[in-house]
Amino acid sequence: MTLLDKFAPLAELRGALAASGNVPSIATPMDAIHSATEGVIDGKTVLLAGTNNYLGLTFDPETRAAAIKAVQELGTGTTGSRMASGNYAGHRALEREFAAAFGWPSAIVFSTGYQANLGAISALAGQGEYLMVDADSHASIHDACRLSMATTIRFRHNDPENLARRLERLGEDAKKTLVVVESLYSVLGDRAPLKELVDVSKQYGAMIIVDEAHSFGMYGPKGVGICAELGLLDRVDFVVGTFSKSLGGVGGFCVSRHPEFELLRLGSRPYIFTASPPPPVIAAARAALARLLRGDDLRAQLWKNIERFNSAVKRLGYRTGSNDPGPVTALVFNERADAIAHWQGLLDAGIYTNLMVPPATPAGLNIVRISLSAAHSDAQISRMIEAFEQLAARFKPAA
Amino acid sequence: MVESTDKVERVVREALKIACPDIGAVDGGTHLASELGLDSAQVMDMIMEIEDRLDISIPVATIAEARTLDDLCNSVRRVAGEA
Repeated sequence: MTLLDKFAPLAELRGALAASGNVPSIATPMDAIHSATEGVIDGKTVLLAGTNNYLGLTFDPETRAAAIKAVQELGTGTTGSRMASGNYAGHRALEREFAAAFGWPSAIVFSTGYQANLGAISALAGQGEYLMVDADSHASIHDACRLSMATTIRFRHNDPENLARRLERLGEDAKKTLVVVESLYSVLGDRAPLKELVDVSKQYGAMIIVDEAHSFGMYGPKGVGICAELGLLDRVDFVVGTFSKSLGGVGGFCVSRHPEFELLRLGSRPYIFTASPPPPVIAAARAALARLLRGDDLRAQLWKNIERFNSAVKRLGYRTGSNDPGPVTALVFNERADAIAHWQGLLDAGIYTNLMVPPATPAGLNIVRISLSAAHSDAQISRMIEAFEQLAARFKPAA
Repeated sequence: MVESTDKVERVVREALKIACPDIGAVDGGTHLASELGLDSAQVMDMIMEIEDRLDISIPVATIAEARTLDDLCNSVRRVAGEA
């Protein structure tokens, strides 16, 4: 038995996921990218519907121009941590802009969205304190719990009453607890009962952090997320998010209504012990954030696409992971073979989506995940609907 | 609240049956992952079922070391005994 033998089951899973065609369904090789909605896979131009590029900002002219200018003026990287030589004016300005967008006093930028959860959660709750985490949380949240010295307890997914029971058992220690939830879960696309979760957290004196990775940019009056949409920004303690979805870049942020949050810079290992994001990344994020806050035209286009696509999926009888239409639509299949056949059928029709199977999915579900973009044209949405109509005729999902 | 040994084992076995309905006979030394094929999500479902039935909260780290059914029962007994 060697260190590498334990990976054998993964080799079996990879083999089982090998599609009937030439293209692997996991780590699918992208040969070229032509726009926010078109790329090349296996020599063929395909429509991208599995990218999280919700507002299509990866190819926004202002965002690209800002990144190019930053490279020319400031170089390709900072080669240092924010605590050393990597604390540029752009990083500080972006943090002020995030804080202003939420109307809160403090924001910290991290090098990735993964590190934003790692850095914020692991530093906020330490030894002798508690993390109360939704069971279906993203891997970055579970990893943050492992990095923290706090005691981690999971509660049932989207179940405020289950959370309440666990906080009740903690007694006075509930006041030393950080509740961790997502506003919109990335695999099934289901929304959290956020108001109820905040009510329960506050009832027991706990703080709450909300991950808006898949909702920032698409919800709320200014697009800053579901907490703002529900009017919860005066009770939620922290919001964490990413640049790699609606903002079309890479990086992460955490904002807080508590000014003391600034002190995390001195105690968060994932913030301190890594290089700060490169100048073009920061410049692109600033331009994308400004574009997002400037108006609701991109959100309006995205929601138009969501409504059109989701009504077609429902009409065709597909089972979806959520009843709330949103930027993520998860088609749920009982059998892995059916999910693979749909993923392959869509790719054959020139449409790239995501195939997700256990153990990477909640409740052992087999999923074909579609993410829509404001950059999808009416004609592209029509193409997607036509492809599903043809697949539905073959597989009869409503039967 | 201290749970009796028998009650803890009965609840753990019931939770295992829910997480893994097709399971056959299992002895205390059975390895949860390599022999029963439980993945981490199934183990967590099982833990939450145990928590609800015994009205306890089981820290994630407490069960991280549990490899077998007996390990898991012992971990649950420790938490239940402290509850």
